[in-house]
Amino acid sequence: MSNQHLNNEDHNNHEGNDQHKQTFISKYVFSMDHKMIAKQFLITGIIMGCLGVLMSMVFRLQLAFPDTPFPFMENFMGHWAKDGRLDPSFYLALITIHGTIMVFYVLTAGLSGTFSNLLIPLQIGARDMASPLFNMLSYWFFLLSSLVLVSSLFVDGGPASSGWTIYPPLSALPTAISGSGMGMTLWLIAIILFVVSSLLGGVNYIATVINMRTLGMKMTRLPLTVWSFLLTAILGLLSFPVLLGAGLLLIFDRSFGTSFYLSDIPADLAGGIERVGGSPILFQHLFWFLGHPEVYIIILPALGITSEVLATNARKPIFGYRAMIGSMIAIAVLSFVVWGHHMFVTGMNPFLGSVFVLGTLIIAVPSAVKTFNYLATLWKGNLRLTPAMLFAIGLVSFFISGGLTGLFLGNAALDINLHDTYFVVAHFHIVMGSAAIFGMMSGIYHWYPKMFGRMMNSTLGYLHFWITFIAAYCVFFPMHFMGLAGVPRRYYAITAYDQFDVFVNMNVFITIAALIGGAAQLIFLFNFFYSIRKGKKAEQNPWESNTLEWTTPVERIHGNWPGEIPHVYRWPYDYSKPGALTDFIPQNIPDEGQTDPLEETKPPVHA
Amino acid sequence: MKILIQLRQSIFLFSALFLLSFNIQSQSADEGAKLFKANCGSCHAIDQKVVGPALKGVHNKYDEAWLLKWIKNSQELIKSGDSKAIKAFEENNKIVMTSFTNLTDEQVKLIIAFVKSESEKAPVAEVAASANVENVETEPLPSIIIWLLVIVSILLIAVIITMKKVMSIIGSAEDLAIFNWNEINATLLIIFLVVGLGASFWEFFVHGAFTVLATPAASEHGTIYDSMFSITLALTGIVFVITQILLFWYSYRYKHDPKRKALYYPDNHKLELIWTVIPALVLTVLVVRGLQTWSSITDRKQAESAQVIEVFGQQFSWIVRYAGADNKLGPHDFRQIGVVNTVGVDPKSQTSKDDIITSELHLKLGQPVVLKFRSRDVIHSAYLPHFRVQMNVVPGLPTQFTFTPTVTTASMRKTLNDPKFDYVILCNKICGAAHYRMTTTVIVESPEEYNKWLGEQPKLVPAATTSEKVQPGETKLLTQKN
Repeated sequence: MSNQHLNNEDHNNHEGNDQHKQTFISKYVFSMDHKMIAKQFLITGIIMGCLGVLMSMVFRLQLAFPDTPFPFMENFMGHWAKDGRLDPSFYLALITIHGTIMVFYVLTAGLSGTFSNLLIPLQIGARDMASPLFNMLSYWFFLLSSLVLVSSLFVDGGPASSGWTIYPPLSALPTAISGSGMGMTLWLIAIILFVVSSLLGGVNYIATVINMRTLGMKMTRLPLTVWSFLLTAILGLLSFPVLLGAGLLLIFDRSFGTSFYLSDIPADLAGGIERVGGSPILFQHLFWFLGHPEVYIIILPALGITSEVLATNARKPIFGYRAMIGSMIAIAVLSFVVWGHHMFVTGMNPFLGSVFVLGTLIIAVPSAVKTFNYLATLWKGNLRLTPAMLFAIGLVSFFISGGLTGLFLGNAALDINLHDTYFVVAHFHIVMGSAAIFGMMSGIYHWYPKMFGRMMNSTLGYLHFWITFIAAYCVFFPMHFMGLAGVPRRYYAITAYDQFDVFVNMNVFITIAALIGGAAQLIFLFNFFYSIRKGKKAEQNPWESNTLEWTTPVERIHGNWPGEIPHVYRWPYDYSKPGALTDFIPQNIPDEGQTDPLEETKPPVHA
Repeated sequence: MKILIQLRQSIFLFSALFLLSFNIQSQSADEGAKLFKANCGSCHAIDQKVVGPALKGVHNKYDEAWLLKWIKNSQELIKSGDSKAIKAFEENNKIVMTSFTNLTDEQVKLIIAFVKSESEKAPVAEVAASANVENVETEPLPSIIIWLLVIVSILLIAVIITMKKVMSIIGSAEDLAIFNWNEINATLLIIFLVVGLGASFWEFFVHGAFTVLATPAASEHGTIYDSMFSITLALTGIVFVITQILLFWYSYRYKHDPKRKALYYPDNHKLELIWTVIPALVLTVLVVRGLQTWSSITDRKQAESAQVIEVFGQQFSWIVRYAGADNKLGPHDFRQIGVVNTVGVDPKSQTSKDDIITSELHLKLGQPVVLKFRSRDVIHSAYLPHFRVQMNVVPGLPTQFTFTPTVTTASMRKTLNDPKFDYVILCNKICGAAHYRMTTTVIVESPEEYNKWLGEQPKLVPAATTSEKVQPGETKLLTQKN
């Protein structure tokens, strides 16, 4: 009831759209409108993504042609690529920053930040987020964090180079690797700012979903996107603080001479203070307590987007709506008790290892349910293969391929010989990297009209999809075999080992595929920025979708709906319902004889 | 009394060191080569820059006294304000060179002598090398690839420049609907399925042959590992093929048709139960088999009767220590690394006397061994793919792995038809700039060959001094870690 009260009040404020004047600064820069903040997240994410992808191109060139100098590299990397040869420690810096950018800045903030912001208020029927101020701060902390991270590329000694997992002692001892000096300090500051941003966003998403749903929007009528954002926010809220703690302790070890993560390190290696009594493995436990839920923080929103896009474009209800929610909850809960599977070969007690094996393989059950439900959704559908739909199908394909290799890695016994090899690289780049990027792309193509009021060009979209899809499989599928041959990841070159010579050609092939895949993103970038101004004008509901965001006007006004917020009468997946005139029935359309939820909330009148 | 003990200690140490250095000096020039390979080879080569600079002619550039200081602790030299040191540091991107406090002056001199002799004969070596590697290393980018890349990028640039025109053409084409994109995409999806599955199988048979799984495991538990792997591969392979076929087939079969209406089919509890229970059953098989395999591999009882060998990791090399006849490793202390000897082992302890330090790992065929891992600086990971062995090497946290080698290097060479093949320990946890070159050779040989080799290796404490009685309590200086 308080909802209704709030909404009405809001509604009065915003009627007549933009009575209060907006300056350029308040509209585009320090905006508190969730739709603008979503766009800010997206564009920052895209820029960071370009940086991450460019880095991967540089180290892919190195991996394919380890003995060929590329003089052009010296032009933009200076002494890190003297005579066109990439420096081995800068190679490590590149993979570290590539990983950090892709995992945190693109697939966490860029994906979840964008779509949670855009869709939560629009799909639950709210004027804005619970706290627009927090929302704005969340973006600005994220931007600040991005800037700090990027600035670390230019400091003395280079950026952090101990892998995105920054295991101490390598990350704690500046004598161990040049990137563990100033670069590492900036990395830690950037991540702390990032955690703050993520927490500010997270509490906001949770509060908004729980408190601000429009009348009739029961939890069991929420689109699966919103469910996935809600669970993602809960995961983030519970796990990011642990990373913050881990990072703070690492700062103490680095700068104040403590030994939380250090043991048996003589004074000459550790800045003149002997370090005893800590445990490097403690850091790994803390890191992966976030790190594992983090992969679900990445993949759940992508799966939510996929559910929505598949159902809409298959013109068919998502199969097993409640099972989908159930499996997402199961995944979210289980994701907190499996972090140890990243640490099977750290010397952990084998019994503890067994517990983590059990938990990890159990996660495969809800994941399988989700996959089969997707397949059942496609079955006997009427598929509109829009770019968004193609990317969603691509996601399902990656989710299957990468999910299955998880069964090898999650089994401690098999992990012995696969841990930290290219098999792992292949696994997570398919199931978390490619799948989540495809989910993000799917979302961008699908909700672009909602963000910019125009359509992206679909022909370029098809081209983008096909080149990216084929390139991604060509890049990551062969890597499984390198891993099975025992090629370790994070190697600057494998030429020192005769037995790996058979992979010289494969590395060249992978690099060419990666370059083509990277170039295909130019098509996307062009399409994205060109369509903002020149795209075809969007209709109000271009995909004939049921969810509430398509009941808002194309103009994307402050407060979302010009009049009253629509009330909700049904679940979001009434596609091709027998007996209906159209093949979709938006959530705000009542059935015959259905009463307004407003009436339901009034106390019964006694005669 | 105390003074007496100390005096005795220092005399003892002195004599041990003296004998050790005497031992070394008496060895030939290839000791220098060995030392170079074990200590310097992961970062340096004579003729080319690796992680550190090429060392050719380094003996002319700097005098020996300076080199000694630099090699033993370059950071100290830089801090002391030595201009040559600062210059060298900055020229190499300020990559910190590992300190070799553990090397004696004589050892460093042997290394410098080796570099000198190599530098002088380098021209010959160069010719040999270029003849040797012509087909792999010195070959420039295959020209076809360069041209391909050039053409692709020119095309891309051209497309981007004329994008505006292209867009208007595409735009009008879309309105005309010359292409039925739904049809085209659906067809492409089915083509992708067929080609993709074909390519997967092709890869499996072609590239699968390169993997360690195509060659039998060289350890006892490796065979159990391989069977577990096969089971997992079979089950996941079946699921992979079925689900991918369904996904792409449905996407093709149910493509949009304005005359058809999708089936309203929101739920079916029976179906959902089926596809919850079946994966659960399959996973039960994997979990049960997996845990059986895991507990048999990690069973700590095996270690009790196994031969003890220590593998010590440091940036960027491996050092191996054999426990000797008593099968007990001498106690060590991280503070003594590089002070008393390379690995910081107390030379006075009774259990250390017969310890043997080497840079290669030799294993006796069929002899269960327990590798005990220790690290000097950061986390490394000892990865022996052919034996299906991997364990992290963590400073301050002892770890171990027990296994039994079952195939000698010689017979593996025959199986693989590669006379140069060697088992290796790879470092598999990012550990610094030369991580990718941190390796050592593992040799599995018959008991006779093994005993012969081990007999040739010098003991940690040369036999002459072992007769000296050690006072009980002296070992307290060093903490027992194993």
